[in-house]
Amino acid sequence: MPEPFLRMIGIQKSFPGVLALNKVDLEAYAGEALALVGANGAGKSTLMNVLGGVVKEDAGEIFIGGQRVDIRNPLDAARHGIAFVHQEMALMPTMSIADNLYLTTFPTKNGLIDYKTTEARCAEALSRLGYKLSPRARIRDLSAGDRQIVEITRALLSDAQIIIFDEPTSSLTSREKERLFQTIDSLKKSGVTVIYITHFLDEIFNVCERAMVLRNGEVAGHGFLKHLTYDDIVEMMIGSRKTGSYVRHEISAGAEVVFKVDGLQRKGVLRDIRFALHKGEIVGLWGLLGSGRTELARAIMGLDPIDSGKLMVKTNGTLQPVQPHEMKRWAGIITEDRRLDGLLLPLSVRFNMSLANLPRLIGRIWPFIDQNREMRLTQKLVEQLGIVIASQEQPVATLSGGNQQKVVVARWLQKEPIIYIMDEPTRGLDVGAKADIHAIIGELASSGAAILVVMSDIDEIMKISHRYLVMRRGTIVAEMSAQATKNDLMAAAAGLG
Amino acid sequence: MNRQSRREHLLRVRDFVLTYGFILVMVMIFLLFSVTTNNFFTLKNIMAILHTAAPLMMLASGLALVIMTAKLDISVGTIMFLSCGTGIVLIVRHGMPILLGLVVTVIIGILLGMLNGFIVVILRVNPLIATMGTLIALRGIGLLVTDSRVIDLPEVLRRMGNARVGPVFIDILVALAILLIVHIVHTRTRFGRHVMALGNGVDIAERLGVRVGRVTFVTFVLSGFFASIAGIFSTFQVGAVTPTLGFGAEFSAIALIVIGGISLFGGEGTIIPGLILGALTLTIIESGLNFMGASPYAYPFVRGAIIFIAMYADSLKVFVRPQVHVTGED
Repeated sequence: MPEPFLRMIGIQKSFPGVLALNKVDLEAYAGEALALVGANGAGKSTLMNVLGGVVKEDAGEIFIGGQRVDIRNPLDAARHGIAFVHQEMALMPTMSIADNLYLTTFPTKNGLIDYKTTEARCAEALSRLGYKLSPRARIRDLSAGDRQIVEITRALLSDAQIIIFDEPTSSLTSREKERLFQTIDSLKKSGVTVIYITHFLDEIFNVCERAMVLRNGEVAGHGFLKHLTYDDIVEMMIGSRKTGSYVRHEISAGAEVVFKVDGLQRKGVLRDIRFALHKGEIVGLWGLLGSGRTELARAIMGLDPIDSGKLMVKTNGTLQPVQPHEMKRWAGIITEDRRLDGLLLPLSVRFNMSLANLPRLIGRIWPFIDQNREMRLTQKLVEQLGIVIASQEQPVATLSGGNQQKVVVARWLQKEPIIYIMDEPTRGLDVGAKADIHAIIGELASSGAAILVVMSDIDEIMKISHRYLVMRRGTIVAEMSAQATKNDLMAAAAGLG
Repeated sequence: MNRQSRREHLLRVRDFVLTYGFILVMVMIFLLFSVTTNNFFTLKNIMAILHTAAPLMMLASGLALVIMTAKLDISVGTIMFLSCGTGIVLIVRHGMPILLGLVVTVIIGILLGMLNGFIVVILRVNPLIATMGTLIALRGIGLLVTDSRVIDLPEVLRRMGNARVGPVFIDILVALAILLIVHIVHTRTRFGRHVMALGNGVDIAERLGVRVGRVTFVTFVLSGFFASIAGIFSTFQVGAVTPTLGFGAEFSAIALIVIGGISLFGGEGTIIPGLILGALTLTIIESGLNFMGASPYAYPFVRGAIIFIAMYADSLKVFVRPQVHVTGED
């Protein structure tokens, strides 16, 4: 085996209260793609931020092409041939592709930018990767996939030898994904070192030669992917923690109806939706993309207007009609978008948890908050849900996705809603955090809440649901019990059954 | 390829309508006044309109660069006053040669721009607050320098205010020349592109190697520089430095910048044709009001309404902008 092109040795980095990286070694070879895998918070981003000069390591050494390098800031990293293709892209939306690619390196003529040359070079650079995009197209008019192409092209123009792809496929269509994988292949052929970070494990078997798994800031394992299986990698990621240990609790027969939807309509989107939720059950709302499942969830959460129909919630022993916008009073609402759920990312865990519950935290002297009570309550919820934090004062933005989602749940717990509506509550979470959220959903239901959950992953929804509602073309086409098989669900959703 | 170029064409039309919605309004207003009043659509009146707009265009061309970086400089009106006040006092009361006095005026404008730049870039004060501070403080100094009195210009300079080449006032030519230069700087120099990059996000620009502090500083210096030039021509038109010179000019300038399609959110807009169209819209409306014999008290109201509508349209643009898929495949 030749010398690795990139070597990071004994990288150590700690943030207040957390040891983010503990003596991590990484080796990557020219012309290969290394998959960097790990749960949220395992240290992948920190490791790459060290390489990219965004954070400075406490200890450790980095060698590129056999030379020891010192990377102090992003510009240093760029000088050493390191480029990022980010999830949130570093592009300027109001400017053209040419502007974005040559911002600091415009060819000039008599002191003025020579656009003719710029655009010719730009078109040539794009076509080298096999793309035909107009150099004058503005970034904001491009699709996510095309924007990514611009980023990759920029990396190549800067003569990058190491290109880091951070969750590159999360917003791509399947065709764009194929195109990206081809591009990565041709990058490898031209001798670039590719580091590929993703949650989608099936992708790495397509794209990468080797994998390195991080767990809790340490290397949990690495090796050639042809010698590894999906399960091996999952095991390295989550360590001793078992998945698949989720146990569905029994619901008592004849449980009362706590939420009922009757004849819900939204023109062109939803028609004649009727269903009921019983105390203590988890109902999986399943359907293919575009079947209206998210639209239904949004409508009953009061996020989208409805044209007709009735929502009824059990209050004081009887079912009472409620307006959709009042649902927030009765139902806990959890979605994939943590900001939509009202998490204030820059603020502390404690603040976020108590915000929805301030009237109950007022102490003896009105209107002042009883801080001790607030801290005790926060601590209780943190322990109950197993949220990993350094302190209650830690900003929510610094938590991993799973822990952020738990903070959302914690906030609702304080209100003790009898209904929960969850739209993709585990999207973007890693395997371990998913299992945690599943367990929490199960506990909420077994303590008596009725839960309606939308998930696009069929295996996941089948793991937790007691009952399924299957949607197709904006209406519920089937209702199935927990005994239904994957095939039953797919057939009903696709309209074959 | 054909399909793609047509789609691109549609995109440009959409951008144009979103950016210059006000032009349509302007054309309608122009037609309205042309039909309802006599003598509106005459060369003489058009020249008068441009003559009025000229100092404002000079002022806006510097300020536009600041706004394109998503920052704001509201001290430009005061810079007009302090720089001209000092220059004219030196000429009139201390016998400084006229040309030297004007050069001093411009140098003061540059220095005041540097002061703003220093406060914003080095001291890291929010630009709105920083320039609000200089807006207030520098007018105080200006009033001190001029004893809060009206200072008449020497005869030579007063004549400059209405000097023409053929039918065209000199200040119109100067304003157009300035617009052209700033336009070239904006579109054809690295500095201009870096200004736009800043408007797209300081973090991104920094990561790409733009020297954020330096570019920001220069935009404030240019803003001060053009403010002093606008002050000079504005003084020529009036024939004197008055204690209210430049008072509120920053808001007229911001209005014409926003009407011209330059977004207060930064990174968006053009000098030509944007600023010219903005200036024309604003002055045509006011001159039309004048022709209709509207009450002078209606002017601030109309101007306020225009500013509000322009800003509303600007923030609306952010929401209505649809994502269009221009694919690079096949």
